[in-house]
Amino acid sequence: MKISVVSFLVIVLFSSFSFGKIHVATTTPDLAAIVHEVGQSEVEVFSIAKGTQDPHQIEAKPSFMVRLRSTDIVFEQGLELETAWIIPLIQGSRNPKLLAKDGLIELASDLEPIEIPKANTSRAEGDVHPGGNPHFQLDPIRLGKAALLIATHLGELDPSHKDFFQKNAQAFQKTMQEKTKLWQARIKKTGITEIVTYHKTLSYFCDRFEIQCTIQLEPKPGIPPTASHLISVIEQMKKRKLNLVLIENLYEDSVAAKLKQDLPQVVVSKVPVYVGGDSGILTNEQLIEKLVQAFEQTTH
Amino acid sequence: MSSKFSFQFYSTLAFFYRPLVFLFLNLTFAASVSSGMNSPNTSANALFLYRNSNFHQQDADPGNLDQDRNGVNIQEAELQFYSDVDPYTRLSLLLSIHPEYEKNKDGLISEKWIIQPEEAFAESNIIPDMTLKIGKFKAAVGKHNQLHTHAFPFILAPLINLNLLGDEGLSDVGFSTAILLPVTNWFSEFTLQYLRGEGTNTEFSSPQPTDGVGVAHWKNLFDLSDSLTLELGASYAQGENLYKKTTSLAGADLTFKWRPTEGGRYKSLLFATEYLQRTQAQTLVENEQGKGFASWLQYQFAERWAASYRYDYLVVKNSFNPANLPNDTVNRHSVGLAYIPTEFSSYHLEYDQKASSLMNPAGETIDKTIFLQANFTIGAHPSHSY
Repeated sequence: MKISVVSFLVIVLFSSFSFGKIHVATTTPDLAAIVHEVGQSEVEVFSIAKGTQDPHQIEAKPSFMVRLRSTDIVFEQGLELETAWIIPLIQGSRNPKLLAKDGLIELASDLEPIEIPKANTSRAEGDVHPGGNPHFQLDPIRLGKAALLIATHLGELDPSHKDFFQKNAQAFQKTMQEKTKLWQARIKKTGITEIVTYHKTLSYFCDRFEIQCTIQLEPKPGIPPTASHLISVIEQMKKRKLNLVLIENLYEDSVAAKLKQDLPQVVVSKVPVYVGGDSGILTNEQLIEKLVQAFEQTTH
Repeated sequence: MSSKFSFQFYSTLAFFYRPLVFLFLNLTFAASVSSGMNSPNTSANALFLYRNSNFHQQDADPGNLDQDRNGVNIQEAELQFYSDVDPYTRLSLLLSIHPEYEKNKDGLISEKWIIQPEEAFAESNIIPDMTLKIGKFKAAVGKHNQLHTHAFPFILAPLINLNLLGDEGLSDVGFSTAILLPVTNWFSEFTLQYLRGEGTNTEFSSPQPTDGVGVAHWKNLFDLSDSLTLELGASYAQGENLYKKTTSLAGADLTFKWRPTEGGRYKSLLFATEYLQRTQAQTLVENEQGKGFASWLQYQFAERWAASYRYDYLVVKNSFNPANLPNDTVNRHSVGLAYIPTEFSSYHLEYDQKASSLMNPAGETIDKTIFLQANFTIGAHPSHSY
């Protein structure tokens, strides 16, 4: 009996040392992919939203509360992208670690947000984020910086692996920086300087790769395309000679037929904008590669 | 329900609650006083309702004015304030404003506006796995009773809620603790509540101030897939009534929700059903029995459009107050169409057909009503529970 008690204790202790991983939750799969790069075997990570779901509209399913109960830290993109559901989920988890000051970490606010409204905004302008555009997940340079921020927070939770996390984050950042140069060259080669998107999901991507994407199919953020707005978009596309429309695959591409009717040469491409948004897109790098390929395919 | 069981039920609740309430109050009041630097989150909601029914064309009973008059009116306006008090506690205050009709001293019907706290409670997660609550709140009896009017899936509450829990549902001042049970494969929450028994619900209004109402609710939610969930709930409540005897409620609810992970912006489906039964006791007469169910289906078929259907059933026997709760079997069908431009506005068109033994002045027993409701929200409204 004594032996079995000792064996049990050894197993429990061994388990706690061997499997003393940091349990991390992220709001989007892109952040989960970064956490995986930074934490590797020292973290267990899951994303609440899937790559095919719009993170503006995730439902606060109680089953996520159960998973968050044993979570050590949550990373969110922020700027009110996920506020409507992540706060109720954390409160519902009743997890003191997450309810504490450093339980929920917002990343976008530390990554030089763009498209910050100049004046006081109202909902008459649609779903505008007062703190700026939260969709930084398509900018490889900001992803590298996000990795460093994530490494700092993971290091605070597990100081014994602080250097390990920093080293991994720096390696990830370096890869992203190097790849950015290659992606920039490839996009430049396509000669495309301006595109149309459905929502402002690609603003950071466009900003990084010096593409203009000020025209959206949505008349206002969060408002579906209207007939009159589409006519205005078509007129602007004709005027500016635009041939590429990227529709984030969270949205229906029912407007594609109308666009092609008026602009036969236009290429309308449905693209993933989150990791996991398409089969085979498992990393941040693969996601951006897919977008770059969409540019290249337009010119072939 | 025997008085022995009743005593045991309350004793168990009291045993459970005393230390929790003591701890909650101590933790709340022991926190150092620091002024809130930020304004609380505020939101306002307005429900405008047009109603046309063959049962509400005139006051059938001049002594008991029709409160659901035909025509257009503000169904309800709601003001909500909520914020963290400090690292330990959150406070929510929800004021409801709605019209009521009365006869003035000249015998003319006039409209007066009622402002009342629909909910006002403090909540804390200071104890792991628990949510503690004190104040006035909607009791955890089924799912629908916990909804605010602007979140109702149909214009009116189900017949079982309206008739067995009252116009405003079961809502009172009390204490609540919701415990997340230690299961990992599904969400399982057990809620225990103690209400003072002095709310608007006459079936729980004992003349003895110390008589309260005990409420227990068990909620389970299973992820059948990433797109489909199944929720099962069971509720029980018991308290003393006006006749110093026991009123008990028992309920069950089942909800299937489907929203695909791909294209979930454009389509979703919900099926829900709730069962409720109420028994009231009184000396020397048969127990009053009321029971029924409501089942409904909501189908979102486009980004901004949803259609819905509900069937309601209620049966009441040995009513203690036949004028307000007739001995009857009532059926109702409701068909609705919703246009939802954004999460902050919606328009509902609904047709209800209710069959009972009640007759309108024209001798009709089928109540046919058409509704058009506009629902607007401004400010930082908290998201509704799943």
